[in-house]
Amino acid sequence: MKLPLPTRKKASPVDGNGDDPAAPVEQAGPSKAEKRAAMKTAAIHHSAEGGATAAGWVDQRVNASGIYTALLTRKVPKGTNWFYTLGSATMFIFAMQAITGVFLSMYYTPSATQAYASIAHLTNDVFMGEFVRGLHKWGASLMIILIFLHMARTFFFGAYKYPRELNWVIGVVLIILTMVMGLTGYLLPFDQRSFWATIVANNITASGPVVGPYLADFLRAGPDFSATTLSRFYALHMLAVPGLIGALIGAHLFLVVKLGTTAPPWVRAARPKGARPTEMVAAGVPVAVSDGPDAPDAAPANGAGPEGAAEEAGESTPDDAGPDGEVSA
Amino acid sequence: MNGREKEEYLREYEQLKKKGKAFFPYAIMKDSVMFVLVAAVLVTMSLVMGAEMGPKADPTTTTYVPRPEWYFFFLFELLRIIKSPELVPVATVGIPTICMVLLLLLPFYDTGPERIPWKRPIASITGGMVVVAMAYLTYLGAAAGSPSEIVLETRPQYEQGRQIVAQSGCLACHAIGENGAHGGLGPDLTEIGTMVPRPAIKRSIAVGPGIMPSYQDLGEEKLNQVADYLASLD
Ligand code: HEM
Repeated sequence: MKLPLPTRKKASPVDGNGDDPAAPVEQAGPSKAEKRAAMKTAAIHHSAEGGATAAGWVDQRVNASGIYTALLTRKVPKGTNWFYTLGSATMFIFAMQAITGVFLSMYYTPSATQAYASIAHLTNDVFMGEFVRGLHKWGASLMIILIFLHMARTFFFGAYKYPRELNWVIGVVLIILTMVMGLTGYLLPFDQRSFWATIVANNITASGPVVGPYLADFLRAGPDFSATTLSRFYALHMLAVPGLIGALIGAHLFLVVKLGTTAPPWVRAARPKGARPTEMVAAGVPVAVSDGPDAPDAAPANGAGPEGAAEEAGESTPDDAGPDGEVSA
Repeated sequence: MNGREKEEYLREYEQLKKKGKAFFPYAIMKDSVMFVLVAAVLVTMSLVMGAEMGPKADPTTTTYVPRPEWYFFFLFELLRIIKSPELVPVATVGIPTICMVLLLLLPFYDTGPERIPWKRPIASITGGMVVVAMAYLTYLGAAAGSPSEIVLETRPQYEQGRQIVAQSGCLACHAIGENGAHGGLGPDLTEIGTMVPRPAIKRSIAVGPGIMPSYQDLGEEKLNQVADYLASLD
């Protein structure tokens, strides 16, 4: 680790990233802070008064807006880039799998004699049946791709290091469970391919030391592949494993919010010396105002208003209000 | 990381966070763009490729050559690379288990404070090599093609025979076109029609010369379809 702030002098060659505007601008701090504070007060005021509306009634009892504020106004560190969307994209595709899975389960019969016919019926006769099956099938592949990319991101960014070790461990369990989903789901259509691949997978399991044979027996529901095997795989695939995955994603995200996400490792809090807007301001050089709707640094991707432009300028106000101080605790 | 380094990290991190942006709308915006992209890819794949079904599971066809989903190819290929029987458990269970444990415990043995990828070359090179190895094994698995699929085009009247050949496990020993076992136990069948007359082909399938099993059980009709198909290969 380098010297602590603010004495750190050495400029990192790759400071910041595409998010940081080419010409960041020092904020007229007080006015920004005031604006934001005003907005916050307004929000609190609003929720307190909300007794008249149904939403307000619920809010007074569960304090949802408090949680909401804590989740939404928390900050993501400087330099956060597109690689940080891979985790939530994985979560999105998992949600898609859950939804399409529910629809598939409405038509599926987990019996060795009827499974194939029920899938054939769903594919050929049911309205949009093949499309929904396609979503579920290709969704599985996409989820595998996204989860591996997400893991690669956290690996190469060193995000598994202190204090996020536990989140890495949860993640590894999640990736294993996701593979288990692929394995158990593959059998369900009960065609030649899935049947024989599953037999092999099971034989491989059985070749494992100590627990191998028992685990294989458990999966097969007995020494031989039988009709019960299919319902066992089905129960694992649509109930047990997704339940576990859901719970672990909950724990994973709890830690993400609690610890905050990392900044890319090459981003440093201190800016390199020279051409610093701060210094320009200090020297009395007038700089472009980032506060307008046509501020150069309002990234097109997020057509946000003036507040947005200010935030986008990276060099934000001295305001550190908001529930984002957890890590220092 | 020792106590001081941890403290420094947290201090630096707090600074970075103060200089960061609010989760809403910035992170949410990026996430949403990503969602739309993922959804678009997913819908396109489902519409273009659909969800086909193979023939119904038949526990009596012991010759069917199994093939896993593509994301298990890397494990499957490991099995193929390690051939000697006494080492098979090493490939199937040993190596994957060791890798899984190493992955799980990563934060407990890689405890250095450095996070920049190019400043921790051992971790980055190892990670890079794992990525390349997995990609290569997956590619090998994909390139091998399905052992129950014959890509070589045929005329419609031989389609039936082609299906039967593809699904009867012939490709475990024989090659047809780019599919099947090149240099396998049996001869390449790609041009078998020019080398062996149809009656001899049919007899071979029914009898099973040498180590080849008999396929008499296919029944007269299917035997004829297979023979027609193979005789058409030139
Ligand atoms: C169902 C699977 C998973 C879901 C839904 C998920 C979701 C998320 C989300 C939304 C984040 C926030 C930051 C980001 O998106 O990059 C995150 C962070 C993280 N994830 Fe995952 N994840 C999953 C699997 C994994 C796996 C397989 C690993 C690694 C083995 C992992 C390790 C981590 C770590 C270490 C962080 C903290 C990263 C940081 O602070 O920069 N996750 N995860």
